[in-house]
Amino acid sequence: MTLHYPAKGLAAALGLLLSTQASAQFSGQTLYLFNWSQYMDPNIIEAFEATYDVDVVENYFNSNGEMFAKLQAGGVSQYDVVVPSNYFVPRLIETGLVQPLDHDQISNLDNLMAKFIDPSYDPGNQYSAAYQWGTTGLVYNRSALGEVPTSWGVLFDPAINPNQPFAVAEDSQVSLGSACAYLGHGYDCQARDALTEAAELVLQAKQRDNFAGFIQGTPVLQQLVRGSVAAGMTYNGDYIFLKSEDPQGFADIDYVLPQEGAEIWVDTMMIPAQAPNPELAHAFIDFILDAEVGAQLSNWNYYSSPNAAALPMLDEILQAPPVTPTPAQMDRLSFTPSLEGEALQFQQQLWREVQSR
Amino acid sequence: MTAPGLARGLRVFWWALMVFLYAPLAVVVFFSFNQINSSARFAGFSWQWYERLFANEVILSALGNTVILALTSSAIAVVIGGFLGYGLYRYRRWKLGWLIWLIYLPVVMPDIVFGIAEMTFFVTLSQYIALFTPGLTTMIIAHVTFQVPFVALLVNARLLSLDAQLFEVCQDLYATPLQRARYFIVPVLTPAIIASALLALTLSIDDFVISFFTAGPDSTTLPIYIWSAIKKGVTPEVNAMATLMIAGVIGVALLSLLIQPTTSATSSKRRSAS
Amino acid sequence: MRHWGSETRYLLLSVAPGALCIVVFLVLPSLYLMGMAFLSNGPYGLPTLPLSLQAFRELAGFGFLGWSPGNLYTLLRSLWQTALATVLVIVIAYPAAYTIATRPVRWRAIMLLAVVVPSWTNQVIRSVGWMNILAPDTPVSNLAASLELTEAQMGLFPSQFAVIVGLVYNFLPFMVLPLYAAFERLDHSQVEAAQDLFAQPWAVFWHAVLPQTLPGLMAGTVLVAIPAFGMYVVTELLGGGKATMVGNLVARQFAQASNWPLGAAGAIIMIVMTLVGLRVLRRLGQRLGGDREVVL
Repeated sequence: MTLHYPAKGLAAALGLLLSTQASAQFSGQTLYLFNWSQYMDPNIIEAFEATYDVDVVENYFNSNGEMFAKLQAGGVSQYDVVVPSNYFVPRLIETGLVQPLDHDQISNLDNLMAKFIDPSYDPGNQYSAAYQWGTTGLVYNRSALGEVPTSWGVLFDPAINPNQPFAVAEDSQVSLGSACAYLGHGYDCQARDALTEAAELVLQAKQRDNFAGFIQGTPVLQQLVRGSVAAGMTYNGDYIFLKSEDPQGFADIDYVLPQEGAEIWVDTMMIPAQAPNPELAHAFIDFILDAEVGAQLSNWNYYSSPNAAALPMLDEILQAPPVTPTPAQMDRLSFTPSLEGEALQFQQQLWREVQSR
Repeated sequence: MTAPGLARGLRVFWWALMVFLYAPLAVVVFFSFNQINSSARFAGFSWQWYERLFANEVILSALGNTVILALTSSAIAVVIGGFLGYGLYRYRRWKLGWLIWLIYLPVVMPDIVFGIAEMTFFVTLSQYIALFTPGLTTMIIAHVTFQVPFVALLVNARLLSLDAQLFEVCQDLYATPLQRARYFIVPVLTPAIIASALLALTLSIDDFVISFFTAGPDSTTLPIYIWSAIKKGVTPEVNAMATLMIAGVIGVALLSLLIQPTTSATSSKRRSAS
Repeated sequence: MRHWGSETRYLLLSVAPGALCIVVFLVLPSLYLMGMAFLSNGPYGLPTLPLSLQAFRELAGFGFLGWSPGNLYTLLRSLWQTALATVLVIVIAYPAAYTIATRPVRWRAIMLLAVVVPSWTNQVIRSVGWMNILAPDTPVSNLAASLELTEAQMGLFPSQFAVIVGLVYNFLPFMVLPLYAAFERLDHSQVEAAQDLFAQPWAVFWHAVLPQTLPGLMAGTVLVAIPAFGMYVVTELLGGGKATMVGNLVARQFAQASNWPLGAAGAIIMIVMTLVGLRVLRRLGQRLGGDREVVL
């Protein structure tokens, strides 16, 4: 029951909307997209390629840290569009790794919902345009663990999970945030002793016999299905996506937002400072912000759309949890804090400790 | 020569060793034909992962990159390294200790340090010279740099094993340097050149770390692709890819077995003659 | 030596491209990287100007929390895992090389090839193979669980055990080849003499075989221990964060965590330890086995 516009249909529809000048302008060029894996509908890529007569090369990353490091290591002049999470946006702006958006080239920016226009992490949408938003929660295998409380204790409390393999997120801030939440300091704790306590908790978890690695997102879901992991952290959209592909494998696997607090995030599209083709990048962002494309994107990757104009075209499944949290759930969700300067270095050093001991 | 108990023990040991060496490869091959997405339970035979593989444009372009990278870098390395090895031999009476040190440097340097050094160097250079943006060019340069020592040492070793008087014989026969090169040095060096070319190819195809750090957005090679596939979450498509690469390696091994008998025969004859 | 000028020219012509290649594309980048270790860490990981030894202090463990032993543990763990893997490789390679050397000549090439071929496959693939074998719920893991070596649901991977297995698997051929070469040149009269004197098999090995195969053993140790110390792929894939070695620590500062000066300092330590290790092993080889150099 999903509305999936086939690539050709989409291209045709948009071809009518956009004048021929659009397709001639970029003909034969290439767009380099640096995105999370399993986040972009291949049909949308094909439609974009057809509309503008260009080639799109997609590269993937699995964590914000990886994306940031890749940009620093030369990616800033090789990728046209990159998709970081909200708490990395200030970092990218400050290091000069991204360039301001030319709003004249992105007329569809007005499609965004009010709360995504002029967000706190990027006032005035100077550098970013929202892509999708979602939550990060606990995912576990009910038949392996039995009935467990909706708590991060599934990962951090040996009493709840004494011997089933579990994984903790690779992203340092996400893991430390969940540990902080479990300890009662709230997911977005920033105080040094709170963070230190959280780091010690994660370290203890890592040193348990049934610790299975720092994995998050799609990989942890795949391991859950294969049975090599019984609990981990992942994103709501990834969960629904894989579950819809393999309902039988996911019959016993649940996604919950722990009571102590969890992450809500917004991913945004940004253009690296020395992008090879900024005009094409702007065209791409504009394309994604179109109402129909936005709806198709969310319908495909099962994440929430920040696009107000796309709302009427979203599938029903996207309007209920886990994709869209209930108001009660929203209360306990927090954005990951954007760290900088000494606070960032402190947190990184804590994480280094956790990794090497 | 050996006590019978020892001989039997060694035979058992040898087969256990073969199991140890080939079990991982066999398992990879085995599960590439799995009907379900699992490497713990085999649910039935299926070609589906191979079908997906060949429809996957990204993998095919990664294969192309791997081949281009290996062939180009090996060709360049054989030429540069060949001359280097020859120079090492020809001027071995000169004080060239520093050169030996230099040649060993890429060999002993940990490849992670090598890769990172190249990455930071190229990133800085690419600000001024566009040629050095991470991509196939930088990968080729990095590969050539670690292949050259092996080629040079192989060529040098081969030349060292020759009777030095043979060079004088050339001179006595009034051979010009070019004739000496054409009729004596190159034929004599051919096995070493072939061996070092094969070695360079193997080193290049085998390499992951250095390629990983010097690669650009559209210069993914097969090892890099498999690595990212593992990080994304393994499906048997990775196994299928790996199986094809293993098949390639075994094919080359069998080929070399067929060529082997002739070269070892001539070399042992030469050894017994001198 | 008559035409000194043209001789130098020919020397330069043949040697220059190779030497230049290594100088420009290895020595220079390495010096550049090492230089980075003496810069301060910018707010987001890139090196910035005031020169400082902060990176080394961080590497040694000093930071916001006072001193913490994390990096030291990583270094010690690298040494320990390298040593363990090397010893295991030696223990397996000796019988293997001996077996090959005592077979009829026509079998030897095939047997050597059989040992070497797995190392021609890409190291990522080899690790994938072990990931498949050691994962939870596989025959090997279930066997280990029934022997109570691991928990019932845990696999043998990711773990330090898996990393050691991966290291041994990767480096076994590099020890077998030099040992085989040494066994080929073995003087059997010494072995027979020892046996004639009614020596126990172990004593025969220790007094007659080992000293003669020492150069091969040393060459093999260099080929195994030095790369194993800097191993990245095996620990990353098979370790699951539990067996971090120096290579992983350094790589992380460039690929995930962004602290280039710290990574550069780690790289310097790796280079220094590699060179020191080389020197120690060569000295050891020379002291124990005479001056038989082994050309790579």
